Amino acid sequence: MTTAISPVRYIRDAAVFAPCYIALDWASYIDPVGPFNITPWNPQPALAIVWMLLGGLQHTPIVLATIFVADLLVRSAPGGYFVMLLTSVILGGGYAVIAWILRELLGHAGLRSSRQLTLFCAVVVGGTALVGGAFIGALRGAAQLDESSLPAAWLRFWIGDAVGILVTAPLLLAATDGERRAGLLALARRPETALQVVVLLATMWLVFQGLGGDPRDHFYLLFLPLIWIAVRGGMNGAIGATALVQLGVVAGLRSDTVPAFPVVEVQALVAGLTLTGLYLGVMVDERERATEGLRESLRLAAAGEMAGAIAHEVNQPLTALSSYGQSALALLGGGGMPQPQLAAIIQKMLREANRAAEVVRRLRELFRTGTTRLEPVPAEELAAAIRRIAQQIIGTRAIGLQLRYDANLPPLYVDRLQVELVLRNLIANAVEALSAQPNAAGGAIEVLARREGDDRVRIVVGDNGPGFPAGRERLFEPFVSGKPTGMGLGLAVSRAIAEAHGGSLEAPPGARAEFHLVLPCAQTR
Amino acid sequence: MRADPLTVYVVEDDASVRDSLALMLGLANYRTALFPDAEAFLAAYRDDWTGCVVADLRLPGKSGVELQAELRARKSALPFIIITAHADVPTVRAAFHAEAVDFLEKPFDHAQLRAAIERGFSREGRRLQRAADSAKLGALTEREREVLEHAAKGLHAKEIAALLGISPRTVEVHKTRIMEKLGVRNIGELVRFAVAAQSREER
Repeated sequence: MTTAISPVRYIRDAAVFAPCYIALDWASYIDPVGPFNITPWNPQPALAIVWMLLGGLQHTPIVLATIFVADLLVRSAPGGYFVMLLTSVILGGGYAVIAWILRELLGHAGLRSSRQLTLFCAVVVGGTALVGGAFIGALRGAAQLDESSLPAAWLRFWIGDAVGILVTAPLLLAATDGERRAGLLALARRPETALQVVVLLATMWLVFQGLGGDPRDHFYLLFLPLIWIAVRGGMNGAIGATALVQLGVVAGLRSDTVPAFPVVEVQALVAGLTLTGLYLGVMVDERERATEGLRESLRLAAAGEMAGAIAHEVNQPLTALSSYGQSALALLGGGGMPQPQLAAIIQKMLREANRAAEVVRRLRELFRTGTTRLEPVPAEELAAAIRRIAQQIIGTRAIGLQLRYDANLPPLYVDRLQVELVLRNLIANAVEALSAQPNAAGGAIEVLARREGDDRVRIVVGDNGPGFPAGRERLFEPFVSGKPTGMGLGLAVSRAIAEAHGGSLEAPPGARAEFHLVLPCAQTR
Repeated sequence: MRADPLTVYVVEDDASVRDSLALMLGLANYRTALFPDAEAFLAAYRDDWTGCVVADLRLPGKSGVELQAELRARKSALPFIIITAHADVPTVRAAFHAEAVDFLEKPFDHAQLRAAIERGFSREGRRLQRAADSAKLGALTEREREVLEHAAKGLHAKEIAALLGISPRTVEVHKTRIMEKLGVRNIGELVRFAVAAQSREER
């Protein structure tokens, strides 16, 4: 499980890692037990673990050496060189094992799902408990710690390491992942983020100073801004917020104005806060991704539905064209000059070419209406359009059209082309259902328009055909194709258009096949 | 050996496509019959129709594949060619499960359509041949069928006579009758017919 790495890169990484680790160790060497690195906040293991997790275990010797040097520089080698060497090996080895397990379990996937987050938390919390036990045990073995102080020392080490890693490692993982980093930066630039930071800082001031007393009593208040930030910003927000809270706690600890507080207990609360934030964030992200995926597949489905319909519409005239062409060739090959027959065929070919061109023209219209432009359209104009469309579709079939609307119907506030497309689709559906009947004569389409409330018009398109087949609600689903439609536009697309207007398209239950299209109209008193 | 001229039955709802196909097939000397939908086809359908159906997949009412299934349920073996402007895998599967000759996507190559129709016709020709043969076999008496069976094994009249306990002369008479009924001219053709009939039965 090691990644091949050039020596130059290795040395360069080490030259960045070691000073950072030592600086973090120095900065977080607060409130220790005895002269040892047993403090309630240890962010530096996160640095070591993330480095080994991403870069590979060949960094372990550097980590061991750095821990040794840090102990020497920050704490002047407490307990002598031999004990220091031993504890460095325990810590470095322990962190390497944690990094290795995380690498095996998570790979380079990072913390994207709640399952990955659970694995991460379990390994970190369990691993630091064991490393802490070994570390404290070694110090006790070297007679550096009293028997009585062991449990407290172990607890302090464990909480310090666990909180340090839980807070810092996700931040480091995010910072090293290009996409995540871009997300973090985008989040930082949002105006809302500034407000969130202000609220979070204010809440911390309240908890640690403003309300007075033990900060543990009011710590729960911090969950409110955290939840707000995690819900709005997802994992990135949660990472940032928990890091800020941790820095605030440390700053409070170092400050002279903030009253003293029990650090270990507060750090345990920070751990709880961090877990809550990370889980909330990862779930918000997961939901966001699922929604995005759904939206994408709906878009694709609509595109696929349209492509199928367009293929059908264009292929019919093309098929006829090529058959006529084949016939013309056969006639020419037969010798002689069958002029009148050829002329008739060529006439038909021209008609088919026009038909294909018409499909393409309608297609262009459809794409031109990609964005919805609302304008007032008088009811009379829409009624005329309905008559025109119905005549086009019905053609020579024996199907009647009844069109009724209130005389005082206000102008509709719609995109004319889009609404015409929807109406064309609904009328084509009705015509198709009626002509599929064995006894098509006597078929009639009825279009009613009436005012609904202050600012809505309901248009009902119905027919006296057999009603819908089973599965009424599936009518609107893309890919649930019944028959070829005149426009080649699925009901799914029609409904999308209606909804883009702030209206709706429904097929209410009933024996009759009826579509109810609700559209906005201009308000009149 | 065709009893009736084979016909191409075109079932297509698009008037232009139907018209152009009829014109093209007519110029290529096919007999054609045109239907706007499956229901019109079924209303006119008779059991003695022979030829090949060219049906659009998407039709108002029953689809081309549903029409094919309906005909199969009526024990019709008419070969089917499905044409469509766009198809999905399950539909194609259903068509081939009902032994479609071909599945052509519009706009198709006309040589392809002609080749498919020819395949359908030759399948139909074999089917008609089989039907005629079994009709002829059905006209044989029990004894004549026994004689035919033994003759097919290459036995001579005397050997057959001994096996069946009749005189060789009677066997000769039976053979002549059989050849008359089956419409074959000599013993060689008789044996070929018998072997072909047997191998079909075994299948």
